Amino acid sequence: MRSTAALPKAGLQVEDSRRAGGQTPTVPPGRKPLAWKKRSLPWAYMAPSMIVLLLMTVAPAAFIFYSAFRNDKILGGVGRFVGFNNFIEAVSNASVRHAFLITLAFVAGAVILEMLLGFALALPLAAQTTANKVGAALMLLPFAVTPAVAAMVFKQLLNPNYGWVGYYLGQLGFPKGVDLLGDPTSAWIVLLILDIWQWTPFIALILMAGLQSLPGEPREAALVDGASPWQMFRHITLPAMIPFIAIAAVLRTIQAFKTFDSFKILTGGGPGSSTEIINLGIFRVGLQSFNVGLACALGVIFLIILSLLVPLMLRVIGRRSDPEEM
Amino acid sequence: MATALVATGCSAESPNPSASAAKPAELRMLYTTDEANSAAVASLVPQFKEKLGIDLKIDNQPYDALQQKVFSEFASSSSYYDIVVVDTPWAPALVQNLEPLTPYIQNKDLNTIGDANVGDFIPKVFYDTAVYNAESPIKRYPNETEKPAPDAIKNAGFDIYGLPIQSNVAVMAYRSDLFNDPQQKANFKAKYGKDLKVPQTWDEYAQAAEFFTQPDKKLYGTTVMAGVGDWATDDFKTLLASFGGNGHLVNEDLSLAFNTPEGAKALSYYAKLAQSGHVPPGSTSADWGTTAESFDNGLTAMTINYHDLKLADNVKGSIGYAPVPKADAAGPHFGTWMLSVNKNSKNKEWAYQAISWLTAAEQQTAMTEKSLHPSRSSVYTSIKKDNPLAGFYETLGQSLEVGVGRARLTNYTEVSHEIAVAVNNAATGSASPQQALQGAADKVSTLLKSAGY
Repeated sequence: MRSTAALPKAGLQVEDSRRAGGQTPTVPPGRKPLAWKKRSLPWAYMAPSMIVLLLMTVAPAAFIFYSAFRNDKILGGVGRFVGFNNFIEAVSNASVRHAFLITLAFVAGAVILEMLLGFALALPLAAQTTANKVGAALMLLPFAVTPAVAAMVFKQLLNPNYGWVGYYLGQLGFPKGVDLLGDPTSAWIVLLILDIWQWTPFIALILMAGLQSLPGEPREAALVDGASPWQMFRHITLPAMIPFIAIAAVLRTIQAFKTFDSFKILTGGGPGSSTEIINLGIFRVGLQSFNVGLACALGVIFLIILSLLVPLMLRVIGRRSDPEEM
Repeated sequence: MATALVATGCSAESPNPSASAAKPAELRMLYTTDEANSAAVASLVPQFKEKLGIDLKIDNQPYDALQQKVFSEFASSSSYYDIVVVDTPWAPALVQNLEPLTPYIQNKDLNTIGDANVGDFIPKVFYDTAVYNAESPIKRYPNETEKPAPDAIKNAGFDIYGLPIQSNVAVMAYRSDLFNDPQQKANFKAKYGKDLKVPQTWDEYAQAAEFFTQPDKKLYGTTVMAGVGDWATDDFKTLLASFGGNGHLVNEDLSLAFNTPEGAKALSYYAKLAQSGHVPPGSTSADWGTTAESFDNGLTAMTINYHDLKLADNVKGSIGYAPVPKADAAGPHFGTWMLSVNKNSKNKEWAYQAISWLTAAEQQTAMTEKSLHPSRSSVYTSIKKDNPLAGFYETLGQSLEVGVGRARLTNYTEVSHEIAVAVNNAATGSASPQQALQGAADKVSTLLKSAGY
């Protein structure tokens, strides 16, 4: 058995001789260069997880791309290559275009509001007090609730005949028995409120962790210089928080694009098709009618939009969004 | 899973079934949950073991998960489940993966345990649920009211692909305590100049709804389930068939049968009722669960739904059942689950005997204790008057005889969605019935082309 202690020593000798400009030592026959071994060892360690990753993510993604160009039927008959037909069908359909647009609008609205509210929550909670620790723990609850369950509870609360929401709105002078899910504007407000309730704490916790990790010296210096609280926030806290804001915004944006349960349970895409986000359509086409090609094409278009939006968003938020620069 | 979904498996034509097939220790069945009274079927498992000497293992899945599971099982040519439950809207896409049962039904040796008399099934239920031409699943059996007979079905180019087990149909439930109240009767007579009775026409239905509506007492006349979903399409289907239209929505020649004068008349009636104030607030976003909840909690005097209802403990009253009203004809929406044999099963003969036993009159009668909706005529006639749900079963049986099913399309879910959107738009008043139907017609035409029709 080869001595493990000899490996680093041999490796050092190789490095030293190169730095000294000497001749490259001859590798004994039948033995591979140690530098190659050093490079390949991490790959060997990572191989099992890479294989799992390939099987679980890359392979299905590749299959989705493949299927998007075919008209496979899942039951009976052999599919064939149809070029861009599925994509053409997807983008030429007015309902699909509408669904993409309202999905984008929902994501933009939800993420912006959640970022603002999340920041507003994180600022006071960042101080390391016992009360804040309890508050932070409580904030875990909304996003620990399964989205489907949250939507079902909301639906009961919104029931115009029995729900609390209608009752208290009536107490405030609104018409009795108001059906918030029966009108496009109020249905959208409800969907946004549910999303904000569920996901603002997620943003707040990320930003709170960011605020707690900021160095204290710049703030102390600004205090000595007589900066106002707004000036401290505007010129010290906010710039330093940009990487955290970027991370929270990107994560939440990706998550918001995947929203499905709340729309399916609360509105089913209605009234009319006013809340028919693209995920509802993909579900119906792919998992109820099993039109695999069209569903995959819709998924690919969605992925492309998302892939373009995220870097764009990072650029808008700032160049310092790279965590390496933190 | 995606690969498995696309890897289609259509096994070759099965050889003639043999009664000497080896008996398995276990049969596996994929079944739904409450949608088709899983508790009723589960209650027969001990008897099943006793009768057939085989364990029946039932896997239950809720609706959406069940549909995906059924399709993925067939897509991967899996032989794991011997028996699968199939909902009507899925059948046109699945039929080529289901075992044709005519040779099994005609083989006397395979019918010593169950009930091979398919003539006992309610004709419309049987033809709508189980009889298909696998080469052209859109086709319907020409005479859906004749007594089912395997020979005639075969001769007409069709086959039997399952045995119906849970027959759902739209029926009207009403608060019999209110309809029988002398004070209510007197008030009705004074207001309308005629006797209060359970509505038999849509005009009477709208009038009764108006009469009972008293929002200050939290009481409304009836319900509509006009939220976007299959339920809205079902409501419209019932009215369309009733007003003289084709309640299937799409004809066998793929021409559209809902954007018609009858369709406009039906949807106008529906929109007027939805906007009348005689239905509870929230009806334009209601589904079948919401409407049942409203009725159960004493909020409405009438409702139309697919199952029996039960008043909440704090509501003092009683329930009566009647067929849904009609105009020119009766055509309540219906759809039945069926038990089918997996074409890839290794135990087809035993799977057939199992479903034949499970759907036999004796077993269906036993399952009425758990509110199963029977599919055989003889079960309805055998239900005794002292059965607490006797009134419901009588109405259910009558309604099934005249029910109207869905169009046989592989993408019916999408077609139904577009029609539901139109119904919702008309109900909320955001579009006129004619505009809404025309909009749906344009989209459905595109969907039919997209599905390769």
